[in-house]
Amino acid sequence: MNLAHLHLLLNHFPIIGTIVGVGLFLFSLVGKNDDLRRASLIIFAVMALLSLPTFFSGVGAEGAIEKLPGVSEALINRHEGAAILALLFMEITGGLALAGLWQSHKLARPAGWNVVAVVLCSLITVGLMARVGTTGGDVRHPEIWASSNPAVNEGTLGSIVHAFEPSPGKFTKLMTANKYWWAFMMDLHFIGLVMIVGAVGALDLRMLGFAKGLPIASVHRLVPWALAGFAINVTTGVLAFIGMPAYYTYDIAFWMKIFAVLLLGLNAAAFYLTDTFKVVEHMGPGEDAPAPAKIIAASSLILWLAVITLGRYIQLYQSTISSR
Amino acid sequence: MALPLFLRSIEESSFSTWLRESESPFGFYFVLLFHTFGLALLVGANGLVDLRLLGFSPSIPLAPLRRFFRTMWVGFGINATTGVLLLTAYPTKALTNPVFYAKLIMIGSALWILTKLQKEVFADPTVTEADMMARGASLAKWSLALWLGVISAGRLLAYTFKYILYPF
Repeated sequence: MNLAHLHLLLNHFPIIGTIVGVGLFLFSLVGKNDDLRRASLIIFAVMALLSLPTFFSGVGAEGAIEKLPGVSEALINRHEGAAILALLFMEITGGLALAGLWQSHKLARPAGWNVVAVVLCSLITVGLMARVGTTGGDVRHPEIWASSNPAVNEGTLGSIVHAFEPSPGKFTKLMTANKYWWAFMMDLHFIGLVMIVGAVGALDLRMLGFAKGLPIASVHRLVPWALAGFAINVTTGVLAFIGMPAYYTYDIAFWMKIFAVLLLGLNAAAFYLTDTFKVVEHMGPGEDAPAPAKIIAASSLILWLAVITLGRYIQLYQSTISSR
Repeated sequence: MALPLFLRSIEESSFSTWLRESESPFGFYFVLLFHTFGLALLVGANGLVDLRLLGFSPSIPLAPLRRFFRTMWVGFGINATTGVLLLTAYPTKALTNPVFYAKLIMIGSALWILTKLQKEVFADPTVTEADMMARGASLAKWSLALWLGVISAGRLLAYTFKYILYPF
């Protein structure tokens, strides 16, 4: 399997997933069904996570086909610009969904602003993802071209959206033009790391039996700090990728890091979507967490250490993936 | 101004050369990795205590957080060790950069505050939570600001150096 293959495997999920998510979310509002609402918020969060490797694999897919006859660089650039804009709204939707899930955990129902924001951002995301899909299809499927030159003849709606899409080349230059901007992004990435490890690490260690004087429920209140750190790191990580796409794309440590982040999503699902969380949620000082909670806590710690490790080794393992 | 020659002697030592030039994953990047682990332990645990003292997450009882001071000192031990190793690999690069000295001063100050927190806020188990917060709030603010400064200075070291190695 190469990166082009990975891109084709992943790229339908964000498009179809957000449509399913919006549909279920709207039905949950009409039917006042809280379980369905939470389920659709989880779908948005999962799609926001899956969109990251989908986006990252695009550069490798470009590398695999750009020299082939009949492949237009302009069409690839248009697709990439559309993808950056759609990714922005996808990640905002994912962040809002996690905020909504936290609110319904803490307050039993989400704030009104969150519901409105999720509806708006997810609808925009559906539209932008559809455009990412069509512009991506245009790259390799001339049979669907709406005109003889789809990069120029956009149609009214396409031209309006296109005005908001960044030019990938200019964006890349902007990220790397000033070394202090880059240093600032990396600084934020490290601060995000500390926020995640400080909050999640404390919760994991408590479940494993360290600092047992702390009630688990109160340590769990730290989770928003970890989510904020993760939001900072997704943002700075994506911007760094846009700044040096080839550097990250052909790096085995980078891909293993992204894989570890996806596994952390699975680990969080194992914690919150099974009985594990309900069992430990109200544990007071001195109480010992059951084995499943300890296993999840241990795998969370190991995976976060793996994410840090693989991140640190990106520089050493650059150019470890063949570009053809 | 001529740079002191001991910088070159350190760089020319076989250990320093190995740290810099080895392509083994257990060379320079391994040291850098543990410097990051130490950072996460030290600042993660200290930041948690600071934020709690400043009134965030008030449902967390303060006294049991005492346990995390050991975590912080383990983190510091790792980072003092790996820091010396990183300095051995690139002595000229670090010691000719003012940012490096700023970082050391901020580390010293943050550790001084850490011991004050430990001794003046957490040592006495009879003190009430309200008292602990009253005693610790301004220390906590300084602690957070200094650690953010330390991290930022550390990151800047990678981008603001004048020399990478001793110039010839």
